[in-house]
Parts: sequence; structure tokens; C-alpha cells
Amino acid sequence: MSAQIGAGPSGVELQVIDLRLTAGGAPSSRPLFTALRCRVAAGERWVVIGPNGSGKSSLLAAIAGVFPIAAGEVRIDGTPIADWKAAALADRRAWSPQFWSDPFPATVAETATLARERGSPWRVGLDDGADPAVAAMLDRLDLRRFASLDVRSLSGGERQRVAIATALLQGAPLLLLDEPASHLDPAHQRLLLEVLLEQAQGGGAVVASLHDLNLAWDLASHAILLDGRGGAVAGSREAVLTVDRLTAVFGVAIEAVELRGTRRFVVGLAAASVHG
Amino acid sequence: MHSRRALVAASFVAVAACALGVLAGSTGLASLSSDIFWQIRVPRVLAGFGSGAALAVSGALMQLLSRNALADPYVLGVAGGASVGALGTMLLFGAGSAMLAEWGVAIGAAIGAMLAATLLFALMGRRLAGPVSAAQGDASTSLLLVGIMIGSGCSAVVSLILTLASEGQLRGMVFWLLGDLNGATHWEIVWLALAAALALVLPTARQLDWLARGDAWAATLGVPVARRRIVVIGAASIATGAAVATAGAIGFVGLVVPHALRLVGVRSAAALLPTSALGGGAFVVLVDAVARTIVAPMQLPVGVLAAAVGVPTFIVMLLRRPRGSRS
Repeated sequence: MSAQIGAGPSGVELQVIDLRLTAGGAPSSRPLFTALRCRVAAGERWVVIGPNGSGKSSLLAAIAGVFPIAAGEVRIDGTPIADWKAAALADRRAWSPQFWSDPFPATVAETATLARERGSPWRVGLDDGADPAVAAMLDRLDLRRFASLDVRSLSGGERQRVAIATALLQGAPLLLLDEPASHLDPAHQRLLLEVLLEQAQGGGAVVASLHDLNLAWDLASHAILLDGRGGAVAGSREAVLTVDRLTAVFGVAIEAVELRGTRRFVVGLAAASVHG
Repeated sequence: MHSRRALVAASFVAVAACALGVLAGSTGLASLSSDIFWQIRVPRVLAGFGSGAALAVSGALMQLLSRNALADPYVLGVAGGASVGALGTMLLFGAGSAMLAEWGVAIGAAIGAMLAATLLFALMGRRLAGPVSAAQGDASTSLLLVGIMIGSGCSAVVSLILTLASEGQLRGMVFWLLGDLNGATHWEIVWLALAAALALVLPTARQLDWLARGDAWAATLGVPVARRRIVVIGAASIATGAAVATAGAIGFVGLVVPHALRLVGVRSAAALLPTSALGGGAFVVLVDAVARTIVAPMQLPVGVLAAAVGVPTFIVMLLRRPRGSRS
């Protein structure tokens, strides 16, 4: 594995305490989940699993501080996120949303460096000097050959890798990634996995929503499972990503097999109804 | 393009345009008296440069804020308010004294611009100032729509004023609406407005790049989204109002100049805003130099030529394949 790249100061702690979110964030609307508790430490990789609309994106946005919290608290390094100075929080956590807006022409390199330098806000745009960390990151995510292309000309999977590069180059130890594997082909899913594992080894922590159970299993040290009916479970991946739980939550038969020493999930084999 | 190089190039173009602007005219340089030079040419070039710069900066700001490359200074409805104010003054006070011609129209336009901006804030204030949430759509689209509605309302009032105006007033009004630097001797106001607008937005220009990618994402980077939006709208309103009050509703500068600069590689707001100011100013000064000389001694309204240049340029840019696209 290559050396740690783009990592910020090591050591970070995220606490989610009795968190309750509602659909769309309005206090009166249906609860997405209630009483979610977890503690994410440096080196850990947490995956957020759940059906469409179960609140995965809302959870990540709430941890990032951009989704209304109905009840409970989110703390980063022991301090509630509401008490952080917004600019200081940007040094501690990076949030990559599921959707990006690219309204104007911008190269891949420009887009990847958007969040990198936040100190002197307006001088940054005037210095387009080559940054070795940026070149290394583009290399790592297999984006080097696109560096000077317009980001709007990329395919979905290529754009997704640029979004990951932007988040990593922000330099924060806690990564909050909303479906970072979307549109990625199998080779680039594995690349993403390697990069995120390196990030965690370097003292960072990752919280990522994923739909691919096998990729989730390989990335995760821990998991949060949202059932879409108001329930949420958090814990080690072995405790949370069980066949019974997954089958119940998704309402489709899910089995697990051991292959070459690792667990693989197989979806949809059995015809039996599993609703309940 | 390297942003610093773009800034230097734009400065060079701006200086060259201004030099050409003060030298070009129906009176040759040899017989040019210093009175004409200092009391007519220089103020006119300064007024034209300031107006073009203010419109281009305002256009760049509105495009960044609305995440829409088709936005221009007029989408806020502020220019529409200025038009109503200017034409209303002409209608109420007639062709009147020279004093009125000099100041009345500009003051009327400024008041109209302020009223339109106030209306926009009153209608959108709550939406713009609300907390950012990833769950909500952003306020940009409704801001654009409300601004366009204010502008449409103002157009209706402008049409009404034109039907009420006498034959004598009509010509002056139409010229003003087309964008006219004739008699635009007061360049100080628009330069002050331009300076104020740039001072408001330049120190936090990087945040505009982030806001263009999404309100919630910008908020996670430490942008006070509501405050930044309001400051940007305020700066754009000041710049547009002053430009329109000085030189009438010159079209296309605000739309085309930031667009053209992006196409040659000026992308970050910190580079785009000052280069837009330089480029927009140079554009209007050059177009005005042509407008004054092409059918001399007659003068064309600068807005007509600006559109004549702006329309084909914009169509070509729209139809061109995006830069850096593959295959």
C-alpha cells in the first residue's frame, strides 16, 4: 500500500447520542429513526446500511451539521457540533454529499482542490500553483489523465472519484461519505476500499453509506443499520450485519457464505417470503 | 489559464481600451482641445468603464449565486426598478432644465433600484436567511423567479410610461432604455458603487466557489450561507443600480463578460470578479468608442452596439462544445 496521503491531524472522535431525525427535518414529519447511539473512534470504518429513504443521507448530513436534529446530540472531539466554529469544524470532518452541482466549467484538478485551502479565503483562487498532494491524490484515485478535463464531461463513476478526492483533500480526519461507491465499477470500488482503509490506518475515521453489502463488509469495522421503520442498530459489523437482520430490514432473502476466509452476502436466492 | 496572468492581461486590455476611448472621436487628436478632452471624453470613458465593470461584476455575482450561467444583473429586477425610476422622472418633470437632465434621471434611477432591491429582500428575506439544511432545495431558483417577476412588473410599468409620454420625451426615454452614455458625465457614483461591491465580496470570494457547488456543502466548509447570500445580493444590487443610473440599461455586458472569461479559463471567483470588472469596463469603453465614431457625427446608443456584439457572441459560445470535453 502506498503512503498515507491527504490525511489531516490524526485522532478524532465522533459521538452520536440518542439521535432522532425526522423525514425532511421538519419536527412534525415521520421519524426516520430514534435513539441512535454510537461512538466512532480513530481508525474505525462505519458503514450505514438501510433501504432507500431510511435516513442514511440525513444521518450523514446531520453528523456534518447540515440537517436539523429532532432530538439528541452529535459531538465531535467531545464538543457538540453546534458549539464548534464552522471553520474549525471543517478541519475535523469532511462531508461528501450524494449529489453535486457543477454549474460552471471547472477542471478535475480545480474541483478536487476546492476544499483544500480554506485559510486565506480569497488569495487561494489566485494561486493555481501545482500542489504535489493534489497530484498524488489524483494519481491515487486514477484521475491523473482527467486532471485538466472539464469535470462536467466525466462519467458518473469518474465524477464520483473526483468527489472522493475533494473530500480527502479537505484534510479532515473524519470522513462522512454519502454513497461514495455509487457509479463505481468493481475495480474502482476496490480502489475506494483501499483508499478508505489507508485513511483509517492513518488515524482517520470513516462513516459511509453503502448499498453493496460485500463492499460494506470489507470496509467496515462497525455498522449502522437503519430499518426504514424508525429503528436503528449500531455496533460491530459482526453484530449488526447479520443475515437475519439484513433479511428482515430489506425484505428480501439474504444469505451469507464463507469464501476464502471472508463473508460474502448472496441476495435473493430463496423464494420463501421473508416479510414480517 | 493562470489566474494571475488573466488578471494582468485583463488590466492591459482595460488600459488599452481606455486609451483608445479617450482618443477616438469625431474630432481628430490634432484639433482636440483640452476642454473636450477633460470635460467630455475622459468623464465619458470613466462613466462607461465604471458602468461596464459594475454590470459585469454584478452579472458574475448573480451567476455564482444562482448557479446559473444564464443569470445577469437584470434578473434581480433591480435594473427594472431603476428603469421605472428614471423614466418616471423624465415623464413627471419633462425635458426640463439641464440641471434636471444631469441629476434627476440618475437620482430617479437610483431610487427605483433601491425600491426594487428592498422589495426583493422583503419577499425573499425569510427564505434567504433561514438555516441551511441538506433536506431543502436551495433558495436560488425562487430568488431568480421572484427577481424576474419584479423585473416583468417593472417592464409593464415602463411600457405604461412610454405610452403616456409625449413625442418629445419618447426619444430620450428610448435612448435611455437602450443604454446611453451621452451626457453620462457623472462617473463618480458608479465607481464608488463598484468599489463598494468589490470590497463587500472580494475578501470572501472563495466562499462563492463553494456556494456554487451547493449551500449545504458550503456550510460544512464554514460559509455563513445566509449572510453571504444577502451580502452578494446587496453588492450586485448596488453595482447594477449605479450602473443603470449612470448609463441606462446596457445589455449583455453582465451576461457575456463573465461567461467569456470562464471560457478562457478564469474560474475561481477571486479571479473572475476582478477580471470581470476589467473586462466589462473595457468592453463598454470599446463599444462606446465605436458607437461614437462609426456614423459620426451621429452617435449610436452604446446598448445597441453592445447587443449587436453580445448576441452573436453568446450564441456562438452556447453552441460551442464545452472545453475539455472528450470525443
